[in-house]
Amino acid sequence: MNKEIKVGIADMKIARREGVLITYALGSCVGISLYDPGIKLGALIHIMLPEAGNQDASNVFKFADTGIRETLRKMALFGGVKSRYQCKIAGGAKMFEMMGGNGIGNIGARNSQNVENVLRAEGIRILRRDVGANYARTMLLDVSNGTVKIRTAGHPEITL
Amino acid sequence: MKIARYEDMDDMSKDMMREIGSIGTGNAATALSGILGVDVEMSLPKVEILGYNEVVEYLGDPEELISGVLVQMSGNVNGIMLFVMKLDFIDEVSKLMLHKSINDYSEMGEMEISAATEVGNIIISSYVLSLSKLADIEISLSVPGFAINMLGAIMTVPMAELGYESDKIMMISGKCVMGQKNVESNLLMLPDIESLNYLMDRLVTSI
Repeated sequence: MNKEIKVGIADMKIARREGVLITYALGSCVGISLYDPGIKLGALIHIMLPEAGNQDASNVFKFADTGIRETLRKMALFGGVKSRYQCKIAGGAKMFEMMGGNGIGNIGARNSQNVENVLRAEGIRILRRDVGANYARTMLLDVSNGTVKIRTAGHPEITL
Repeated sequence: MKIARYEDMDDMSKDMMREIGSIGTGNAATALSGILGVDVEMSLPKVEILGYNEVVEYLGDPEELISGVLVQMSGNVNGIMLFVMKLDFIDEVSKLMLHKSINDYSEMGEMEISAATEVGNIIISSYVLSLSKLADIEISLSVPGFAINMLGAIMTVPMAELGYESDKIMMISGKCVMGQKNVESNLLMLPDIESLNYLMDRLVTSI
């Protein structure tokens, strides 16, 4: 296993050729991996909310829309070619089952929905997804080969 | 003084939050001791203003499984109360209430979950009740939600809820000693900024 690079909450990291990008415990948050196999360039984003709206985005990676766009911009600077990107997403779970059903319960679903919308608008197809349900996921992107793994508590590790 | 962000809070405001926190946890401990039949003590609460990733680091390993009881506050104060319990806490509660030991979360059945939820609910309600009496305000509480999950994922629930307002979280947290045993739990109060301003205003005028 080569070097692990941690991606925090509302954060994004890019790596090239070697290293494993890892983000821990995606609950209602969504992890988005983008990988260009042509030049072995990978990015992993950990977003928390669906859209920035009128916010002065002090932290662009907090939101799905601003986070994805900024990542695409950065990847292009590193020589990434959009049409080659392999995209996988994970997370968007429902952590607490709340009576009355106000915002708290479905933030996860809103997050993954908007991630899909933004990616579609950018013309990026999602290859695989592991979203929803009620458990947390840790997501790993191996930049040397583009493999994405999902680790959960009480379920075996899967390759996405 | 009105603040726009949690990190603008001065030492005096933090002291004030700590003071009302200690009255709240005191009452919560008494209530808990009543149902469990053992002495319960809660440490003097700490008031911390932390970034998202710092909150998780402060509480432990992001992938560690914990359980949490979450209640939403509405009325004069809006926000979230979250009570996080580690396995030793659940084990102790289950032993005292149901005479059953819990060594793994998977051993928790409906009874154990409902006992743990109730304990969290009692702690949260008595904390909020003492706060609302002190400041002479009304706070309504939602029905509690319960979850067992990775620490990092549970903590992002209040963060996402307050995410549009702040990049930081104010956490009023206290630890719990049950019987002779030091068990790990944390009570977190996360009011939104407007409520925090309101609360500080009320407390200055009523004390």
